[in-house]
Amino acid sequence: MRELVAQYLSQSISRRTFLKGLTAAGVSLAAAESILESLAPAAHAQEARPAAEGIKVFEGTGGACFAEQLMASGVKYVFGNSASEDAQFYEALVDRPKLKYILTPHEGPGAAMAAGYVKASGEPAIVMQAAVVGLMNAMGQMFNAFKEQTPLVFYSYRTDQSGRAGRDGFEEVANQEQIVAPMTKYSWLARRPDRIPETVRRAFKAAWTPPYGPTYCSWHSDFNDEKTRTEIIVQQKVDPHMRVRPDPAEVERAAKLLVEARMPLLNVGDEVYNRKAIGKAVRLAELLGMPVTQARQVFVSFPQTHRLWVGGPPGNRLATLAFPKDPDVVVNVGNKLQHNSPAPIVSRNAKLIDMRIDSASMGNVMTTEVPLVADVALGLDDLIAAVEALMTPSIRQRAATRAQEVERFTGNAKALKALVTKNPEWDASPMLADRVTWEIARFADPDAIVVHEGGSIGLHSFGFDPLGGRELFNYYGAHLGSGVGTAAGVKLARPDRQVICLVGDGSFVFGPTALWNMARLELPVITVVYNNHAYSGPHSRVIEKVAGGRMVQTGHFIHDYLGNPDMNMAYIARGLGVDAEVVASAEQLTAALARARRATVEGKPYLLDVQVGRYGVAWADKPWTPPISIARERTKKV
Amino acid sequence: MSISSKSISIFLFCVLWAFGPGAAGAQPPARALEDAGGDALGRLCFQCHRASMWSDLRLDRRGWESVLYRMVGRGALWSEEDIKAMAAYLAASAGPQAGKPAK
Repeated sequence: MRELVAQYLSQSISRRTFLKGLTAAGVSLAAAESILESLAPAAHAQEARPAAEGIKVFEGTGGACFAEQLMASGVKYVFGNSASEDAQFYEALVDRPKLKYILTPHEGPGAAMAAGYVKASGEPAIVMQAAVVGLMNAMGQMFNAFKEQTPLVFYSYRTDQSGRAGRDGFEEVANQEQIVAPMTKYSWLARRPDRIPETVRRAFKAAWTPPYGPTYCSWHSDFNDEKTRTEIIVQQKVDPHMRVRPDPAEVERAAKLLVEARMPLLNVGDEVYNRKAIGKAVRLAELLGMPVTQARQVFVSFPQTHRLWVGGPPGNRLATLAFPKDPDVVVNVGNKLQHNSPAPIVSRNAKLIDMRIDSASMGNVMTTEVPLVADVALGLDDLIAAVEALMTPSIRQRAATRAQEVERFTGNAKALKALVTKNPEWDASPMLADRVTWEIARFADPDAIVVHEGGSIGLHSFGFDPLGGRELFNYYGAHLGSGVGTAAGVKLARPDRQVICLVGDGSFVFGPTALWNMARLELPVITVVYNNHAYSGPHSRVIEKVAGGRMVQTGHFIHDYLGNPDMNMAYIARGLGVDAEVVASAEQLTAALARARRATVEGKPYLLDVQVGRYGVAWADKPWTPPISIARERTKKV
Repeated sequence: MSISSKSISIFLFCVLWAFGPGAAGAQPPARALEDAGGDALGRLCFQCHRASMWSDLRLDRRGWESVLYRMVGRGALWSEEDIKAMAAYLAASAGPQAGKPAK
């Protein structure tokens, strides 16, 4: 009993738990309540002590504690889908207007919207689902967040209350929090109501400690209703502020390799964008007259308009670059280097300097001559300083000569890229996807943000420049249905930038419900659906595996045609409250884009369903569809 | 570069397998462009694709040009001369009248 009193006075247990403990020890309920009352002066004295800065003791429902901790963790927006057992949380939001709840009608696009907001703002957010049934819908975007290393916190309660858990009840699954374990940095079930804030804090701390990634927290739903006393702590008090400088000795080795290299090559990645270190990457490249590329990532982390930018490797291996063909030193700064083929992205012939905070993914495929585990902003500072210290007049001259060689290539490459308009089908209707992209690139603001989820769409002509120009939010995890939600989240974070969402028809129909959020929240995004009524990527890749096979011989492609009936994305958009139109030619597209601009100036989103042609092996004008008609099989016409 | 030599070998095998008979024998002057196209194909295309992705495709020269210019939109840095030569080669060996490759 003495221990119980001590725990109660130290606020380690709630009043309810204290009473439970006493009655379990044989004290009657009436006597227990009397003891509790007698402790009130002492408890109040405890409360009267001034709290440490950034820490407060809060008493309320579990749901209210949750809301308090979210505010203390710096959250402004909560993205959620209606959940019956979060009643006390919703109740708490009514008098906490700083915490803004965004109702999303499907958990997948809702999570994409939250992720888009986090990526574009650099601010924390939480996305909530109704129990495990809602979580399942959000897990596709959790996968994307995991692959893209987005620090997004997920929460869903366990419908099974603590008193009946383990009985295979309604919406109950064993080990709910473990389902997401392979795709999260932290997943935890709070065991008591007063542990809700601590669990939430840890979820934010883990998500936002580099390398970033999603986290998940959960608790039994009755904990939301239970009253408790607990600590609310601002996030700064628990954030480890992990800003790692690289090993100075390794920096020296890297600098020596770079200045002595015949043809060094810089490969940049998302850590550069996230750490706002793009200017530093430019400085390093210019110092060495070094060509720059980027294997596939979410963001563009180097100005594509820069004279040293040689383009991305078309086959996602540096060996597929047209220039340089034989770099002897590759310095990777902040790129996760996701492999899509057995061959390593960086050839074994080149010495690799790998600078990243994500040490766990270093050295897994590529051999690493110099590992630089670091916050890339600090790492680039140190590497630039070390290179500058080694620069001699002859090394500077060599760098200048190399820069001229790179510039000759990039000048020629610019002319070759422009040849895309020479396509003999340039004026065709339905349109070439390349024509659509080219027209949108002509239309887009100089600082537009392009959200891209179109697997078969080449992103030529934009000239992305994250240093004040256009920016790209590319799809990377590839769980489809992220584009529209991401665009909504990006616009929420950056309302003063034009946001254009480019999405294929196949991707679009996985997640159009975020259009409704655009309409309700007045998020003026322009969404362009490249609608060829087909999964053209899988069409070509399947044929690659079974060339000359039965599908090609018969024209019976089982898996890829989305027509018959054709989907009208403009109808879908209008049904969700977004004005839209179908576009079939370049002339129509120009006029439609002007209407889209007018709509967005007025604060309204707009959608264009652009009809694009199907190209590739064996596409027929009217592709075959499997002859399944249940209506004809009926014996009774009902 | 490690994949290139193996890839190009496989690619050239596929090209010869798919289109070889038409390319064999004496080389009349009119075939020079096509020959250059065959060389360019081996040099440029196979870094990203296996030949099987498009060996079933049968198009005229305009159609093949359109295919090749679409690759420019995806990052291929090819000259107009290379594109015209490759289209000529492909139209001659994989034109609308060419037989389907044996399975």
